[in-house]
Amino acid sequence: MVKQKQETANQPDNTAFTQQRLPAWQPIISAGIVIPGFLIIGLAFIGIGVALFVTSQSIQVLEMDYTGVDKTSPCNRCTDPNVKSCLCQMDFSIDTLFKGPVFFYYGLSNYYQNFRKYGVSIDYNQLFGDLSYFTSPSEKCSPYQYDNNNNPIVPCGAMANSMFSDTFKLFQIVNGTNKEVPLDGKGIAWWTDSNIKYRNPSVTPLQMAFNNTVKPLLWANPAYQLDPADANNNGFINQDFLVWMRRAALPNFRKLYRRITSGDYTQGLPAGNYTLQIAYNYPVLSFGGRKTVVFSNVSWMGGKNDFLGIAYLVIGSMCIIMSIVMLIVYAKFRFSEEE
Amino acid sequence: MTWRSPLALVRDALAGQRARERDLRSLVSNLPFENQKKTRQPNRYFSGNAIKTTKYTFLLFIPMNLYEQFHRWANIYFVGLAILNFVPVVNAFQPEVALIPILVILSLTALKDGWEDFRRYQSDRKINNTPCFIYSMKRRWKDVRVGDFVKVVCNEIIPADLLLLHISDPNGVCHVETANLDGETNLKQRRVVPGLCIMFVPESFDSTVVCERPNNNLNHFICYEKPDREKVGAGIESLLLRGCKVKNTQYAVGFVVYAHETKSMLNNSGARYKRSKLERKLNTDVIFCVILLFTMCLIGAVHSLWLQALPGVPPYLVPYSTGQLDSPALSGFYMFFTMIILLQILIPISLYVSIELVKISQIFFITNDIDLYDEGTDSRAQCKTLNITEDLGQIEYIFSDKTGTLTENKMVFRRCSIMGTEYPHKENIRLAVLDEPDSEEEVIFDQPPRTPQTGWSLEAEDTNLEDARHHHGGRRKSKISLNADSSVAFSSPLETEVIPDRKLLQKISKTESSGRQQMDPYLDFFLALAICNTVVVSTATAQRQRQSALTSDNLCYEAESPDEAALVYAAKAYGFTLMARTPDSVTVRLPSGKDLVFEVLDTLAFDFNRKRMSVLVRHPVTKEHVLYTKGADYAIMELLGTPYAIAADTQYHLDCYAKDGLRTLCFTKKIVSDEVYESWSVKRRSALAAINDREELIMDTAVQLETKLSLLATGIEDRLQESVPDTIVALREAGIQVWVLTGDKPETAVNISYACSLLKDEDLLVIDGHTLAMALSSDLQDRFVDLAKRCRSVVCCRVTPLQKSDVVKVVQDKLKVMTLAVDGANDVNMIQAADVGIGILGQEGMQAVMASDFAVSHFKHLKKLLLVHGHWCHTRLANMIIYFFYKNVQAYVNMLFWYQFFCGFSGTTMIDYWLLIFFNLLFTSVPPIMFGIMDNDVSAEMLLGVPELYKTGQGEYKSSTFWVAILDAFYQSLVCFFIPYMAYWNSDVDLFTFGTPLNTISLFTILLHLSIEIKAWTWVHWLIMVGSVGLYFIVTVAYSAACITCNPPSNPYWILQRQMADPMFYLICIISTVVALLPYTFHVLRNSINPTPLMQARHLDKLDPFSRDQWIKEWRS
Repeated sequence: MVKQKQETANQPDNTAFTQQRLPAWQPIISAGIVIPGFLIIGLAFIGIGVALFVTSQSIQVLEMDYTGVDKTSPCNRCTDPNVKSCLCQMDFSIDTLFKGPVFFYYGLSNYYQNFRKYGVSIDYNQLFGDLSYFTSPSEKCSPYQYDNNNNPIVPCGAMANSMFSDTFKLFQIVNGTNKEVPLDGKGIAWWTDSNIKYRNPSVTPLQMAFNNTVKPLLWANPAYQLDPADANNNGFINQDFLVWMRRAALPNFRKLYRRITSGDYTQGLPAGNYTLQIAYNYPVLSFGGRKTVVFSNVSWMGGKNDFLGIAYLVIGSMCIIMSIVMLIVYAKFRFSEEE
Repeated sequence: MTWRSPLALVRDALAGQRARERDLRSLVSNLPFENQKKTRQPNRYFSGNAIKTTKYTFLLFIPMNLYEQFHRWANIYFVGLAILNFVPVVNAFQPEVALIPILVILSLTALKDGWEDFRRYQSDRKINNTPCFIYSMKRRWKDVRVGDFVKVVCNEIIPADLLLLHISDPNGVCHVETANLDGETNLKQRRVVPGLCIMFVPESFDSTVVCERPNNNLNHFICYEKPDREKVGAGIESLLLRGCKVKNTQYAVGFVVYAHETKSMLNNSGARYKRSKLERKLNTDVIFCVILLFTMCLIGAVHSLWLQALPGVPPYLVPYSTGQLDSPALSGFYMFFTMIILLQILIPISLYVSIELVKISQIFFITNDIDLYDEGTDSRAQCKTLNITEDLGQIEYIFSDKTGTLTENKMVFRRCSIMGTEYPHKENIRLAVLDEPDSEEEVIFDQPPRTPQTGWSLEAEDTNLEDARHHHGGRRKSKISLNADSSVAFSSPLETEVIPDRKLLQKISKTESSGRQQMDPYLDFFLALAICNTVVVSTATAQRQRQSALTSDNLCYEAESPDEAALVYAAKAYGFTLMARTPDSVTVRLPSGKDLVFEVLDTLAFDFNRKRMSVLVRHPVTKEHVLYTKGADYAIMELLGTPYAIAADTQYHLDCYAKDGLRTLCFTKKIVSDEVYESWSVKRRSALAAINDREELIMDTAVQLETKLSLLATGIEDRLQESVPDTIVALREAGIQVWVLTGDKPETAVNISYACSLLKDEDLLVIDGHTLAMALSSDLQDRFVDLAKRCRSVVCCRVTPLQKSDVVKVVQDKLKVMTLAVDGANDVNMIQAADVGIGILGQEGMQAVMASDFAVSHFKHLKKLLLVHGHWCHTRLANMIIYFFYKNVQAYVNMLFWYQFFCGFSGTTMIDYWLLIFFNLLFTSVPPIMFGIMDNDVSAEMLLGVPELYKTGQGEYKSSTFWVAILDAFYQSLVCFFIPYMAYWNSDVDLFTFGTPLNTISLFTILLHLSIEIKAWTWVHWLIMVGSVGLYFIVTVAYSAACITCNPPSNPYWILQRQMADPMFYLICIISTVVALLPYTFHVLRNSINPTPLMQARHLDKLDPFSRDQWIKEWRS
């Protein structure tokens, strides 16, 4: 017996794996199998497409460019860099009820917030409330790290420095008088941003933490005075700041400014004439940028976007057509058992 | 250690160098110097016996391994890019993070190398510490030095090359088994150096041993000893090689001539590396990728200049701390490099490692294939060259030798012609017919002398002065025994059983009874069969377990070549039994029962120039010196003394045999007078002691004696290996041209070719050696190749080994085809000339196997090796490589590139860099490797049943395939980028929220694309595919939850979680994936309208075996 074993010592194992005979499912993608697949996908896509399209159609959007390129534009006079604290007004009217809650965005175009070096120019540790980074901000913030007197800039970096600074007030014209529409600035930033990623240093009053630091060069007020109305909306957890700091993915973008949810406007903006008062501070014309304000209501699919609904409808229809073509092919050229 | 002047050290080193390089080395015993300082030791210049096969040392592992790895230019490329990332003006990622991929690849490779090296180290240590006796003291192998006396006991492995001085057996003969060295399991005889006294005492050994420089020829060694004045020569027959086992003696004592530079070590050249056709194609495609990369980077660099057109400096443009911006040209220049860093993955970093892994698995599957395992010799298929497995699927021309390749080289006596009368042995034929289909009984003779193979000439004459009667060629592998153990070659009763021809039997009994024994040619014929060989008779005392079960007559024949054994068995069948063979005598039992003891005076061993061997014996009755010679017919016919009528008749018979495919051998006898013998033996002795031109001198003496022979004559045959015709038919159906290159006569070659279905049609080309020499001349090459291309079959006969390799080279060069050479013996030239060399582990030598890329045990194994493994290996690897290119272009490189159009060509990535790395290293690295290892496009049964599929499989990786894959990748990346782009257009989407669906879509598209490519899903596939998707979500979710400020300024915190709560995310992912994969519809349509043969085969594969076979038949007809 020992002898026998020696004789076959080299014999390979006869297992399904070594002999490459593992049981396997061998799908063959041919017309016969694909037809029902295409049919199901096609029908499902058309269904989704219809839902998306209908939803998107129901969303109302009102977009207004207030850059003031046009001479006739009310904000044209503010485009002059020498004019300081310029105010301008845009009048508009709404024909039917603009269903609430209405979201109030500002939009910038041709603005590359996704520029690599711009995105890098930020110190997350500082923004996390770490005081050691107040005195010596990260290298990455350079050249917005220290001012000319070598004082640390807080918050440092190009991104914070370039924060959007226009402010808006909305009035409904009721019987010739301006009735201010209350704008809600709470909860417009991500919850995780205001509660986890960004923190103020635990120093009271907040201002003390900013001793020996300077505000970013372009800023009108230091970080601890961003919202004079609400003491809890200051420092790094200021909602407008947080919204700005979330880098837009594309060069034409919107950012949420306010929501219209309270007072007489809980149901939305009723039909009527409105006037928008703009504190025009943010220069964009020098690099070919545009500024807009957008009023929009939202649905489960976010803002208005017809593209996805149409895409689903087109692809769904294509799948149906394909399945018909396949059926013809299948009937004509089948390579199957009975032949 | 005493101080020595540096000058003395240098002088010593130079002397050592000289001593090592001298053509002859003089060695003396170490014993007299035992207690002296090292510098006094006479043999100190020669290296010790410790071996070291490791590549690295412990301390220098990292630098040495890195040096090794940087021989691969891809690694340099990636390290260069990682370093480039440390330059602040061009960096695209955090520099430290950018090092991760290349570090992972380098350390994985280093880990693999380190593990292999550690295994080598362990085995070295084990070998070096093996105990052995160095002159009665127990020591270890590594302590053995040149000049020591080493004692080896029976069955022990020899630690170094020893000159055999003394053994326990008074005959002075023992045997060695060289299986460890060359795989040959037959025993080889070794003798003590002649002329030494029986009572051997190492202390009194005062001779100087002069030997040649170490070389790797296992079958050649010359040295002489100078005890006093007279030289005593010794050859390979007195050398015990390291790695062999000593048999048939209790112990042996030898003098160490080579310690580290042993023949086995010098033969150990390690695995070979060839570059496969696929790899060459791959490299051109990599170059295309580089061009593509540069184009994309250039586009990026040029576009980045758009900023200059702006009237003012936008707030998002960050100047230097000096407040200045780069000049346009400079920023464009920097951008070019940033883009290279960004898009570097276009050159697949893990491709090379993956290819290596896949090849390891392919070798594993080939060597573990049970169909390629031969029980007879207990041998698997072997892969000697590790990286050309896929070339097996690309073969267009096969060049095959005949002997041992197409034929089995197992032989049985078939017919003979004595004194011009033919004895056809019809009984054997009848039995053979009855025995069909096995036809085991067919009588087969092989005649290696016919093929003038170079290997043989090296062997030369190594007979010794007195009585070394055996040539220990060692190239022939055979095991002769009478037992019925089927695992031992030549031992099957069917093969050894010869039924005597009745007429001939009658004739013999008549002559025997008549008493005219000495004169009778019939008796002489059978005596010649029994005597004229080097067959060793072993009995139960032989310490080989396998053959211990002996038949009643207790005889066991060990022959070095199968034909010798066959002839001895034939003689035995007629009652002439070879009873015993010692170096000095041969005992033959006659049919009458009488034992004749012939004194063996000399053995003139076989060599290639003479193509014959002779034994000179003294007849016990007549006391005459009789020379029996055996050889190829044309080598014998010209030496016949007086031309006489029998010669013509015999030649006629031999020609008939050749036409029947039989092979032929001639026996002759010559009576040598006393005077002639005396004068000849003097010359012979001086020739044997010579160290220069020893071989020629020995051959000359042999030629001198082998003249004026009287013909006895015989005729013989050869048999095909099992399933050779089937295999050849299948290979030809697979579109492979099969050429037979043989040293045989045209008649035999043509006959064999018919027998193995090579020749069926008229369009064949038979060309002989002389004609071939002309055809291969440079001006006729083109025409020859052109002619050969038009012929269905080409048979080249009477060609030399050199011509064989020339033919292969010419075909390879002129037709630009992949060639494969198969050989079962020793056509090293031909095997090395071809793209793929295959050795048959046959009955004959192992040289071909040693030089081959792959070794199998039978010719029939080629069918599965090529049609199945070749097809699979090539298809898998080709598909995997294509997929890799696709994957790297589609994922990231293109997505990142498209994104550059929307981030001002600033080099921003829309996903966290860690996730980018994970994507390539974790989420999408395993599925393609699994695809390369395990995909089965068509079952083995189908591939064997329809050999035509082999041809279709060859076109798997064309350059168009590469471009289609790249185009597909471009299309998919456009879809995967622009559908989300449109969906998020004009919204408040932020950077990573936009990147996450892109990443996810990319993953799904890549994996689904692979799923469509996978032809057979086993549980492993499911596990890995589902696992990859699961891993992606788990790792990304975990990373997005854990990382708040860990990788500044990148900040993916809670992104995927938010996206996963948004229905839009799923809707975008679904439609993008579907649209990206929509072009597969064309595949579907093509599969239905005009299915490729492979596709049809896959359809058939799904049927049950019975109806599938029916279909195959129908399809092929």
